[in-house]
Amino acid sequence: MKTMINLTVNGTKHEAAVEPNRTLVDFLRYDLELTGTKKGCDMGECGSCTVILNGKPVNSCLVLAVQANGSEIMTIEGLKTAEGLHPLQKAFVEKGAIQCGFCSPGMILAANNLLQKTPTPTEEEIRTALSGNLCRCTGYQKIIEAVMSVDKQDIP
Amino acid sequence: MLLPKFEFHEPETLKEAAAILSGIGEPTSILAGGTDLLVNMKKGKASPRHLVSLGRVRELKKTARDGESLRIGACVTVAELREEREIKDDFDGLFRGAGLLGSPLIRNLATVGGNIVTARPAADLPPPLIAYGATIELVKDNGERILSLEDFIKGPGETSIEPGEILSGIILREPPLYSGGGYVKLGMRKALEISLVNVATFFALDGPSGPIQKARVVLGSVGPTPIRSLRAEEILTGERPDEALFEKAGEAAANDAKPIDDFRASAEYRSEMVKLLTRKALKQAYEEAKLREWRRWK
Amino acid sequence: MTTYSTVNSRAPRLDAPDKATGSAVYIDDIRLPGMLFGAMLHSPLAHAKILNIDTRGAKRLSGVKSVVTYEDTGLIKYGVSPARYDELLFCDGKVRYVGDEVAAVAAVDLETAVEALSLINVEYEELPAVLTMEEALAEGAPLVHDEYQRNIGAEVHHEFGDVESALAQCDLVRTDTFRSKRQDAAFIEPQGCIADYDGRGYLTLRSSTQTPHYVQRTIAMVLGLPIGKVRVVKPYVGGGFGPKAAANAMEMAACLMSMKTGKPVKMGFTREEVFLHSRARHQFVHTLTTGVKKDGTIVALKNECYLEGGAYTSFGIATIYYAGSLLGGPYRLQNMKYDGYRVYTNKPACGAQRGHGGVIARAAWEQQLDRIAEEIGMDPVELRLKNMMEAGDVSCNELKMNSLGMRECIEAVRDGSGWKEKKGRLPKGKGIGMACGFFVSGAGFPIYRSDTYHATVSIHVSEDGGTVHVYTASAEIGQGSDTAFAMIAAETIGIPLDSVMISSGDTEFGIDLGAYSSRQTLMTGHATKEAAVDVRNQILAVMARELKVDISELDIKDGLIVFKHGGVDFSRLRARYIREHRGWQGIARGNDPLTFQEAARIAYLARGTIIGRGKYKPAELGGSHKGAAVGTSPAYGCSAQVVEVSVDMETGRITVEKMTDAHDCGFAINRTSVEGQMQGSLSMGLGEALYEEVKFDEKGRILNPNLGEYKIPTSLDMPNVNPIIVESHEPYGPFGAKEVGEGAIMPTIPAILNAVYDATGIRFQELPLTPERVFMALRAKKQKP
Repeated sequence: MKTMINLTVNGTKHEAAVEPNRTLVDFLRYDLELTGTKKGCDMGECGSCTVILNGKPVNSCLVLAVQANGSEIMTIEGLKTAEGLHPLQKAFVEKGAIQCGFCSPGMILAANNLLQKTPTPTEEEIRTALSGNLCRCTGYQKIIEAVMSVDKQDIP
Repeated sequence: MLLPKFEFHEPETLKEAAAILSGIGEPTSILAGGTDLLVNMKKGKASPRHLVSLGRVRELKKTARDGESLRIGACVTVAELREEREIKDDFDGLFRGAGLLGSPLIRNLATVGGNIVTARPAADLPPPLIAYGATIELVKDNGERILSLEDFIKGPGETSIEPGEILSGIILREPPLYSGGGYVKLGMRKALEISLVNVATFFALDGPSGPIQKARVVLGSVGPTPIRSLRAEEILTGERPDEALFEKAGEAAANDAKPIDDFRASAEYRSEMVKLLTRKALKQAYEEAKLREWRRWK
Repeated sequence: MTTYSTVNSRAPRLDAPDKATGSAVYIDDIRLPGMLFGAMLHSPLAHAKILNIDTRGAKRLSGVKSVVTYEDTGLIKYGVSPARYDELLFCDGKVRYVGDEVAAVAAVDLETAVEALSLINVEYEELPAVLTMEEALAEGAPLVHDEYQRNIGAEVHHEFGDVESALAQCDLVRTDTFRSKRQDAAFIEPQGCIADYDGRGYLTLRSSTQTPHYVQRTIAMVLGLPIGKVRVVKPYVGGGFGPKAAANAMEMAACLMSMKTGKPVKMGFTREEVFLHSRARHQFVHTLTTGVKKDGTIVALKNECYLEGGAYTSFGIATIYYAGSLLGGPYRLQNMKYDGYRVYTNKPACGAQRGHGGVIARAAWEQQLDRIAEEIGMDPVELRLKNMMEAGDVSCNELKMNSLGMRECIEAVRDGSGWKEKKGRLPKGKGIGMACGFFVSGAGFPIYRSDTYHATVSIHVSEDGGTVHVYTASAEIGQGSDTAFAMIAAETIGIPLDSVMISSGDTEFGIDLGAYSSRQTLMTGHATKEAAVDVRNQILAVMARELKVDISELDIKDGLIVFKHGGVDFSRLRARYIREHRGWQGIARGNDPLTFQEAARIAYLARGTIIGRGKYKPAELGGSHKGAAVGTSPAYGCSAQVVEVSVDMETGRITVEKMTDAHDCGFAINRTSVEGQMQGSLSMGLGEALYEEVKFDEKGRILNPNLGEYKIPTSLDMPNVNPIIVESHEPYGPFGAKEVGEGAIMPTIPAILNAVYDATGIRFQELPLTPERVFMALRAKKQKP
């Protein structure tokens, strides 16, 4: 039986009826059509489904949509600013941190969460913060460089 | 992957949760962080007809001091646990264990209670919790009981939880002045790892330089449950802490371990690593004991 | 030196903004109206006869629209190499591995489709299975395919020169056996597809593939459709690394069910299915015998290789050849003998993965060369410098080096890593090692025998002249090929990169064999360049006529028409352009230089839509022996690496601390992308060296079909790499470019092995170097008197 949920996604309130067995990632992707959140393993092991749930990065494949009732969620679609790309997105583009791009949304959200808490992180802090987000293309180096290159003054 | 169908319950108080649990006659699972349960359900290893989520039960998300004790709500997440001052200051072994569990993303979901009731032999929190002598509170519709964590875990995925019971909190007694704990985990990668072996230690000293008054050594991933190495503890008790003693304790711990061969590692390797990791974790405990004493003195 | 405006720069990738914002569309992001969802029924047994398949229950379930088995497909065999078509879309008589495809269902939603699978009743009679090469090769072993005795599905025997007599003249001869494990490519996006058969009888398949062209051909062949009625479109793809380079049963099942229902059918792999159906790296067991002279000259190599192939051949014919032929370089070697055997087992099939066929051969040999260097008292760097080939050399198996920056690579990593200061001087537990690599820059021949072009490209100039649009059927799978081709087009025409649009990955856009064998930059790059030259010539020809100047007086640079000796009056053309754009802002006026935009518009007015055409096919390549088609390439990339490790002598755990990598890519079209390929290759190599192994239980079921237990490096495991780009200017590459995407992985495993030896004094002959394997070896060494 479907349950009504209310939640805020990227600042927009949504009311929806969902089956209890709908995961948050499927709800975002298939019901709200926010397909920037990716699904690489569905088991909490790759991090491509990372979203920010009430201020914290989580694997949205391990959360039920009904559990997110009343929550604030940010997906990659919510990061772009009125002026265009968010500074972190710009850094990923300019530093060559994106290859196939499948891990990028989750990687960028996890990195942004770190920068909000720790504006000038060390390389080790960045590597630790991103250690739940697997990337098979880049060897991580240009991702780390991109995060390090962001000027904290630029972060909205 | 699809989750099987189930009915979803979302109580707001512990009392309500207990009442719901006692009222359901069908297979039911309690949902906390979901990082274990939802994976098992996707794999078809679990298909409960009902899920009772504890996500809205506020009282389970608090950590509070109660006199000499620290009470950790069962639904405190692993990441939140690491943010607690008391954990950072006084429970270094637990702090380390919480930092090595899964990944940062998992730690934001997984709960302390969940890491206990799932009773995975390789879990990161039960060994340090047992080393610190944690007790747990179990609540049900018509009462509650308190028992030691050590007695609670019975085997892989098995605990002495009874139908209708909810693990509500974990109680840690404030460690004595001259004491410290440690936790060492061995995996292949540096993150997203399942322990090949882990060892948690704790000891209290009689005075600033010993002798050891009381010791606990807990071995993870080398048996169906975390194992207390009584032989190692016996060797440590009454002695002054030093490298040679720790090494002897490690040898003894290996005799208490009951590792098996599986696709992750051989029993032989695990047994060797118990020796080493016990020694390292004891060293950590000693370092922490010295540090805590220094901190207090300051 | 030529100066370039666009190529050789660090231009940001064209697809990166969309990928950074989540708006880039991958297969699972697509939804078509009325779409059905498909699911596949797999064999639960490794080897069994199918006695009966009863689909009645599934067909009766409400919401089910199609249930298909071998009865619906006919028995057309397919595969990758026509020499070994050994697969059926659905099993008929028997299943050959846990996961073998038995039936498929399409239904209104995925839940219904999955439920329907559980209602298909298959009666099996279990057969004894062979799960290892040893079991499969044993006398009297059960046969996976009846027609292949001893389960040897393919074998190769080559000899160049005279190995036995050469070995007899050597001062030192060493034989070593090296064993790797089966590996998975572990790209982050699982495969998916949507098949859409329309009322006109046209089939469109959207698929996360590396090779739209081969998928198109295979589907047309298996489903009996004219090639012209099958279109394959590739959306953005989340990594491939090889296994996405062949048609899979899921794609064909989706097509078949779309044809039956007239509705689009979507299917996707779960992560577990990726492990079952992605044909990744084989297990290799190489026995190498190398003979050298006292002075370090490598004289002869005998290479015997067994490959565990799983239940089907897939890319295996190419794999078995590569495992021999790629050791033909980069050293001068006059005598080489190769005996390769690919063995069928009742396990998922293996195929191509980054560094196809050559990675383990290279690991085994480069470690053996390190041993030999030590035994003759020579620095491993010197040994390699002494033997390396140079431009102009031809290997004993007829691979011709038109360019080869091997010396530059070796010297660069030697000097860039502090080799001389560190080698032999690091404390116990720390080590440094080096190795070299070598790889093709595109397969010289298509996978099916044909005189086809390998790539055709067209470039359409927009009628307003503002932009050019490159159409190519090549596959952007994350490596950056779209950006590279756009850069080539921009540079060649003489316009800024932001004036170039590119559409790729669609069989309607031409022929392109796709993203495999590190071929696209060179091959599609050539075709792009030729098309761009054509565009430029057409436009300049019109300009020459209109302005009454010789075409040799004209050039295009940075979006402007350049008159080499000035003094040309183009005011008439400008007036004409302005007349067509009354009220427009931002167009050139007065004495502004004549723009490409104006010229292109004038050319359109004169000749209609300007379309440039380009094509590429390698020139005649050497090699007349059987199998020469695998390994010959228009160009060869090479590389050298130095790796530093620390080994925890108590646990056996290895940490790779530093990597220095030099790669000769001929010429870097995009410097950032070249570095990205190097760093990514090294990361995959590190995982394969230290952690990665697909494991099976005694029933042939995968024990670790997930990214938790199949361990690829995390951000905490992969160190920073010092990437050094070497440019040898390949005469047969566009702007001198050749491969980087696969060759860069070649030296990683052996460099790690050699560094671990330096740290521990132990040579490991088996991968991966898990803490346990290392610990046990350290303990055994300690116990030895």
